[in-house]
Amino acid sequence: MKKQFSSFKTFASATLNSYGMLFFSRNVFFSSLILLITFFIPLSGTAGLIAVFTALAAAKLLGFDAFQIQSGLYSYSALLFGLGFSANFEWGVAFLLLLIIGAVLTMLFSVALSSKLNAKNIPGLSLAFIFTTWIIILAAKQFMAMGLNQRHIYWVNETYAFGGQRLLSMVQSIEGWKLAPYISGYFRSMSAIIFQGNILAGILLTMGLLLQSRISFVLTIIGYSIAILFNDMMGGFNSGDLSYYNMGTNFMLVAIALGGFYLIPSIRSFLWTLITVPIAYLLVVGLGTITYSFGLPVFSLPFCIVVILFLYCLQLRKTPGKLATTPIQYYNPEINLYRFINGKERLMNRYYLQFALPVMGEWMVSQGYEGNITHKGEWSKALDFVILDDQMKTFQLPGNIPENFYCYNKPVLCPADGTVIEVVDYIEDNEIGKNNTAQNWGNTIIIKHAPNLYSKLSHLKKHAIKVTKDSFVKKGEIIAMCGNSGRSPEPHLHFQIQATPHIGSKTMPYPISYFYSLHNGKLNFENFSVPKEGCFVSNILPNIQIQEAFNFQPGFTITVESEGHNTEEWEVFTDPYNESYIYCKEKNAFAYFINNGTVFYFTNYIGKKDTLLYYFYLSAYKVLLSAEKEIDIKDSFPLSIYNNNIIRWLQDFISPVYIFIGLQYESKININEGFLSSGSIIINSKQSMNLFWKNKSISQTTIEIENKKIKSFSISLPNKNIKAVCHSVN
Amino acid sequence: MQKLRYERPVIQKMNAGLMNKYGTRTEYEPVKHIDGVSVASLIQQYGSPVFVISEKTIRRTYQNAVRAFKTRYPKVQFAWSYKTNYINAVCKVFHQEGSWAEVVSGFEYNKALGNGVPGNKIIFNGPEKSNEEIKLAINNDSLIHIDHFDELYQLIDICDSVNKKPRVAIRVNMDTGVYPMWDRFGFNYENGSAWNALTKIVASGKMELTGLHCHIGTYMLSADAYAVAVNKLSDLAFKCKTQLNTSIQYLDLGGGFPSANTLRGAYLPASDTNPSIDDFAEAITTAILNAGFKTEELPLLILETGRALIDDAGYLLGTVLANKRLSDGRRATIMDFGVNILFTSFWYEHKISPAQDFTHHTEDMVLYGPLCMNIDMVRESINLPLLNRGDQVVVHRVGAYNMTQWMQFIQMRPHVVLIDEKGTTHLIREAEDLKYIEQLEKMPAHLSTIKL
Repeated sequence: MKKQFSSFKTFASATLNSYGMLFFSRNVFFSSLILLITFFIPLSGTAGLIAVFTALAAAKLLGFDAFQIQSGLYSYSALLFGLGFSANFEWGVAFLLLLIIGAVLTMLFSVALSSKLNAKNIPGLSLAFIFTTWIIILAAKQFMAMGLNQRHIYWVNETYAFGGQRLLSMVQSIEGWKLAPYISGYFRSMSAIIFQGNILAGILLTMGLLLQSRISFVLTIIGYSIAILFNDMMGGFNSGDLSYYNMGTNFMLVAIALGGFYLIPSIRSFLWTLITVPIAYLLVVGLGTITYSFGLPVFSLPFCIVVILFLYCLQLRKTPGKLATTPIQYYNPEINLYRFINGKERLMNRYYLQFALPVMGEWMVSQGYEGNITHKGEWSKALDFVILDDQMKTFQLPGNIPENFYCYNKPVLCPADGTVIEVVDYIEDNEIGKNNTAQNWGNTIIIKHAPNLYSKLSHLKKHAIKVTKDSFVKKGEIIAMCGNSGRSPEPHLHFQIQATPHIGSKTMPYPISYFYSLHNGKLNFENFSVPKEGCFVSNILPNIQIQEAFNFQPGFTITVESEGHNTEEWEVFTDPYNESYIYCKEKNAFAYFINNGTVFYFTNYIGKKDTLLYYFYLSAYKVLLSAEKEIDIKDSFPLSIYNNNIIRWLQDFISPVYIFIGLQYESKININEGFLSSGSIIINSKQSMNLFWKNKSISQTTIEIENKKIKSFSISLPNKNIKAVCHSVN
Repeated sequence: MQKLRYERPVIQKMNAGLMNKYGTRTEYEPVKHIDGVSVASLIQQYGSPVFVISEKTIRRTYQNAVRAFKTRYPKVQFAWSYKTNYINAVCKVFHQEGSWAEVVSGFEYNKALGNGVPGNKIIFNGPEKSNEEIKLAINNDSLIHIDHFDELYQLIDICDSVNKKPRVAIRVNMDTGVYPMWDRFGFNYENGSAWNALTKIVASGKMELTGLHCHIGTYMLSADAYAVAVNKLSDLAFKCKTQLNTSIQYLDLGGGFPSANTLRGAYLPASDTNPSIDDFAEAITTAILNAGFKTEELPLLILETGRALIDDAGYLLGTVLANKRLSDGRRATIMDFGVNILFTSFWYEHKISPAQDFTHHTEDMVLYGPLCMNIDMVRESINLPLLNRGDQVVVHRVGAYNMTQWMQFIQMRPHVVLIDEKGTTHLIREAEDLKYIEQLEKMPAHLSTIKL
């Protein structure tokens, strides 16, 4: 029973998602609204629903990926096919047969396209629908049983059949409104996305879209306006061919897709619609001429071409520019934007391999990137390290032999896991003040971490290298001793990242994942940045107790009890994208997190906001898994967790331009246990909000860790205090 | 022209070697300032004798030691050995620098708490711990280092009444190849009693075995002994992990590093013979890194160094009371400080510098203190310029043990002054007076009046 119910739920959500996908949404309410509106023309709505069911059933039978099926990815083109197909043909057995076969064909196209294109981070869009519908239109001309029909002209009859007199008169009274042609045109274009042409459907869809996303709504207006303006400026192309369908699907959807969905909404992405919409316009006109000569509508082909072309080209950039593509799709431009702003540092985890500093203790960056001694030109992205005393001297008196220098003969660590591919170990250490430019790099180790990612450590001490060529080295292992060989007038360590495996290869900029940096007496916690010249830097050493407490492996379960709340049981899962989350069965809430060994942080919370899991999400939003130094960890919450009210809506409208709400997070390990992993550790954090210039505290939280487990956490909100006790099962 | 200093004439035996037309020369230089504050002004303001502590030197010495270890080993923690100098201001300089507290009595334990050291950062060593003190330490989550089996049984008993698992370590003594071998503290490694104690602790199930502690001696003149100690402690740590399924989280190597004071009877000056803090760091860290721990399981290295961190920062300023010629013709100079406040003169040949200009003539002399007691001899034989009554001297490297082991005997203990990093002086311990000393005395009624 339960199983049937859950498979029914999966099926229902797959169906709704197919509808939502037409507007890049996964909102249940909006999807249901679209479903309902398709039934304004009942036969068309029915054909669409049949096509979706057919596609889903066929995909399930063939055993395609359940996750993709549920997302509606394989069935939304079938929906379009159903809606579009029914507009052009007479109902009957032949029609139904073609509908079903066409739906399956669309689904197959969808699967094939998405497997090929998604691998390159490009969406398949509605290409599957276009191909299938074209084929069937061309073929149907040969079939006697298929009566061509312009049934969509008689939509009034059908609407009457579906909604009776009341709906019809409502539709007609709205049709009779004296709206400016541009405005009625906008709504008609909107409804043309689902192959309709009436204002009421357009208004309802617009309202649904507005509720779903303010940015998408603004973008549809922008897309529509640009097209109209461009059309006027071009001296008015034969407007009969520039149908509402072309306006709606091609221009509005281009604007949403490239203005805010596949790209992070920003002024730049908005400005680019000034170019991309006119390109789509040219394609509509140009391609239309070709397709109409075969008797085929151009459909949404221009939209597909523009979006795919633009996204493909953006992927080819060597470095991600200002116009950022959406890294994780949340099916809502606002959420994409807020998460992107919030997640810049969080996303570094995906982009970069985690490098640590190659030294123990506190060293100073004596020469940074673009340094003015030797870090120049192609070799500019390198770091030199030395040890200083409190007098800012690198040596103790007399300072005329390498042994007097603090850094000489100190351990050099492997910065990240890899294979040693080059070792030079025979070059004499120089006398102080002498250079050996013949063997410029001195004793050197090169480690391969990934294809085209090598690190090089140079000027090492002679015969002190502890690894051999081809051996595997682990991050943090001692691999050599700092020396004074090569072009090194006094002992120091040279560290660089390079794309090629040679001694003397040019350098490549690359950040160090996490480290402490002391500059002008101020201690900073650095995430994925390059140490600056003159800073004192040191690695962050994890505290095993905190590390263990936050080590949530799949299958880990924890029971959380609190007075005044239902007991919650949380279990840790990992999804097909290898993202881990805590799932609360009782409240159906999800909290996604990342634990990279140095920092634990939540990336997303989905569910109601009165759950203990949500309070835990607030408390442990970002925790440094080290208790070595007292340092504040600061972060901000994505605005998407902010209440849905008028201020939030206002913020959504102007979000690509200016963010005026700030939700801050700050945490601190309170009882600084140093390196011991026993006793209890308390992590305090506070959450506050900035609204323009005002800062308001939201809550304060405490997490208590004992015996390598989270013992309890508590949160004090303005109106209540909650203390939750955790019992982990395993 | 300034009036020339009078020096009593002295006849010296001819030395072999070339005559020097400038007469005898000395290597001495007057020490007129400490951290930029003149000795004369210090004595004028605080009287004589007076202890002076340089905050700058403490911090520099500490940072130097931390750097020596932390650039060789990832997890290092120093714990300030209270018994070396427990004047609160001194302790707090170390705590500000990040040092934990290492105490050996309930009195020191409470002092550390009073200085604001969190209970879980106090290491409780020593052979004597009362039930109350142990309970306090357990409730504060302090690290309790067990010294003998009777203390182990005492702890097991207390655990039944306290609803908390204490974090404990044992002190291990062992043969590290140095003489004398310290075997009076802790459990012996070679005869198996250390292992016996560890199994008892784990078997009791009432304590959390957290670390291993040793303290192989004092004023150690060989760094290699520490490497031996590390190997023996690591061996125990591996056995704990494999046989008792308990991972040892820290190795506490204790203290014992020497300062630059020359020991009595030493042939060469200490600065030439004693290993430096870098030598100890190299020996200890290399031994742990080579012991075979996995990188992520490397134990925390705790050091309880006291003397090497504070000795250089302490000075004793004093004044000459009198000159004398002894019966055998030796010169004797009587100072206003003696073994009562300079306890370490029993151990060291302290370096003493005059605090004002002097002529090039020097003479071997005995330096006596002010006590009317035969033992009161600061230096048995020291070659110094000729000092007159009222001349001032600076005794170097007196920061360790003097301000804890000094005696209120005949004389009272003087002021202790701290010179901060900006050169400002602060009185951190007032000189005693009669009232202070008599405040604990009680007078039986029948003795309240006397008539002579």
